[in-house]
Amino acid sequence: MTALNPSAPAKPGAAPPSAIRNLVRLVLSEYFVLVLCAVYALAMGPFVPELWSWEVASNILSDMMPLLIVAIGQTFVLVIAGIDLSVTAIISMAAVVGASVMSETNGYLSGGPLAVPAALAAMVALGLAIGTLNGLAVTRLNMPPFIVTLATRMFFAGSAVWFTTFHTSSSSIAGLPDSFTAFADASLLGIPQPMILAVVVTVVAHLILARSRLGRWIVAVGSNSKAATISGVPVARTIVATFAISGVCAALAAVIYESRMQTGSPITGENILLDIIGAVVIGGTSLFGGKGKVLWTVFGVLFLVILDTSMKLLGTSLFAIYIIKGGVILMAAVIDTLRHRILVTR
Amino acid sequence: MKSGNRLALLGLQNAPLILFVVVLLTFGLMSDRFLAIANFRNIVIQAAPIGILAIGMTFVLLTAQIDLSIGATMYLTASVLALAFTGLPWPVALLLVTVLAAVVGAINGLIVTVLGVASFITTLSTLFVLRGVAMWMSETRTLPFPDRITDLNRAGVLGIPSAILAFAAIFALAWVVLHQTAFGRQIYAVGEDAEAARKAGIPAKRITFACFVICALCAGVGGFVTVTQIGAVGPKYGDQVEFAAVAAAVLGGVSLFGGRGSVAGTVFGAILIKTVQNGLNIVNADPYIYPLVTGSIIFLAVAVDGLRTRILDTLNRRTIRPLQAN
Repeated sequence: MTALNPSAPAKPGAAPPSAIRNLVRLVLSEYFVLVLCAVYALAMGPFVPELWSWEVASNILSDMMPLLIVAIGQTFVLVIAGIDLSVTAIISMAAVVGASVMSETNGYLSGGPLAVPAALAAMVALGLAIGTLNGLAVTRLNMPPFIVTLATRMFFAGSAVWFTTFHTSSSSIAGLPDSFTAFADASLLGIPQPMILAVVVTVVAHLILARSRLGRWIVAVGSNSKAATISGVPVARTIVATFAISGVCAALAAVIYESRMQTGSPITGENILLDIIGAVVIGGTSLFGGKGKVLWTVFGVLFLVILDTSMKLLGTSLFAIYIIKGGVILMAAVIDTLRHRILVTR
Repeated sequence: MKSGNRLALLGLQNAPLILFVVVLLTFGLMSDRFLAIANFRNIVIQAAPIGILAIGMTFVLLTAQIDLSIGATMYLTASVLALAFTGLPWPVALLLVTVLAAVVGAINGLIVTVLGVASFITTLSTLFVLRGVAMWMSETRTLPFPDRITDLNRAGVLGIPSAILAFAAIFALAWVVLHQTAFGRQIYAVGEDAEAARKAGIPAKRITFACFVICALCAGVGGFVTVTQIGAVGPKYGDQVEFAAVAAAVLGGVSLFGGRGSVAGTVFGAILIKTVQNGLNIVNADPYIYPLVTGSIIFLAVAVDGLRTRILDTLNRRTIRPLQAN
């Protein structure tokens, strides 16, 4: 495994000129994407000076939070060589279910003291339930994750729209309590609340993936599930756990999205699937499992959001954002592939 | 080996067919219009575009790759068609569209085979780029098509509508290529085990490359057929059809891990999906439950396939000291 460790120092025997060696070391280091963020932000500085203002920087950070939370959940699933396409549907479904509980106009608990806590509990429980369902379908029914989550995505994205029609004649469930909508804007000790939530999720996720026994199981299953089985890892339970984590993360992201949009819309998560997977992969997590870190995903999301924000500030049209985003995801993937080749041959 | 298992296996092996019959019977009992020949003709016409896309997707899936960019390829080629080729006779326009699509497929194929980037990410990023380019060219407007293109929808030979003809032609071509040529056998070999295929002297990379080109070609043709049916191309055109195409192929028994499946199955999968949607439409179901039913059917079909594999594994197990599965 040491040969694959990106931070391993170069062998002293093969000593290229130091500038090149430093460059190679940088490209191979796990902070490469973070460096890329900084270089990009510096390079864009003269064109969009606003990028370096405190206001925009804090906007970037707050834009990042919900995306970061879903992407971290996705990281777990990618590490076991799975994929979770249903996260966007979970976000939409959680948003409308949460709204249906706490809405002040026609919610189940409208006006009650427990409305908001109950809604939050319902959202997280829903994420957990759909995630677990995905995991059980993969392990018990022997189905490929891509298809399981494709089907549950169709099903729950449809359900979210259908569910909304029972509660309102308009396209989304409005009338959310102020105590809920205030969440996205409020700060605790000067730190925005969504950021606190995201940091907590990041730290917990990091501890699970990098420090806990479950984390070691997850990496083992992703590297080689047969070997993991033989070594006594409860493979099926581990797989279910990763999907459950992904579902819960999606639900938590839904809380932030919904609080910010101030309405429970059934299309809350509709268009962000490719951003989520793109961000995780830009960070360096492998689609083939066994390789991934929460920190990498933080960098990947940061990079994608900086890119998005700078394009918007430049007044770039949507088409150019699409082209550049696609180009960047591709470039990140190419670099990652080359990195991998260098690391394997060294 | 229990005979109960064998019987279950027989049922499971024909599960998609049983599912199809159940669907037909259910809707047939609910509406007498459903089982009419004219309605079945409609179903096939509706299934033609997605079926053609899914046939192309089958080639890529057989080599254990995936192409998420077909919707964007459709959008790009249809936009170029709307902007530049509408003045040409339609066969020339169709030819130019397929050439353009082939170029897109070649780009995907080159990135995957030469640079070695995972196809999921490659085609995810080309999806963005192609959509961006198409939106740039069309200025994000909805582009209409002249009657000479949309008239093709009503045209036909010997009373067979053009969409069905196109569907049948692509299917026949794909079937011949996959099942009657050395190239087809090599596709299965590469999908089964790329490394073994390479050692056996099969140019695995070239085969994979060719499959991406074929997939994009089908996207071009499928997009053309869609255009004749809906008569305009807007920014949402082809959005997420890649998932529908994968679903149709998988429903027809194509494996995402390569080497298993056939175009006949894919065609069947596409028709099954459209039959369900058509049936829901005829019995006046709430349009909101369409995705629920479609999602459930895909889930069911693949769950059954998983069970089948598990039972087959049990039946074929010859190890003296069997591994505890999971």
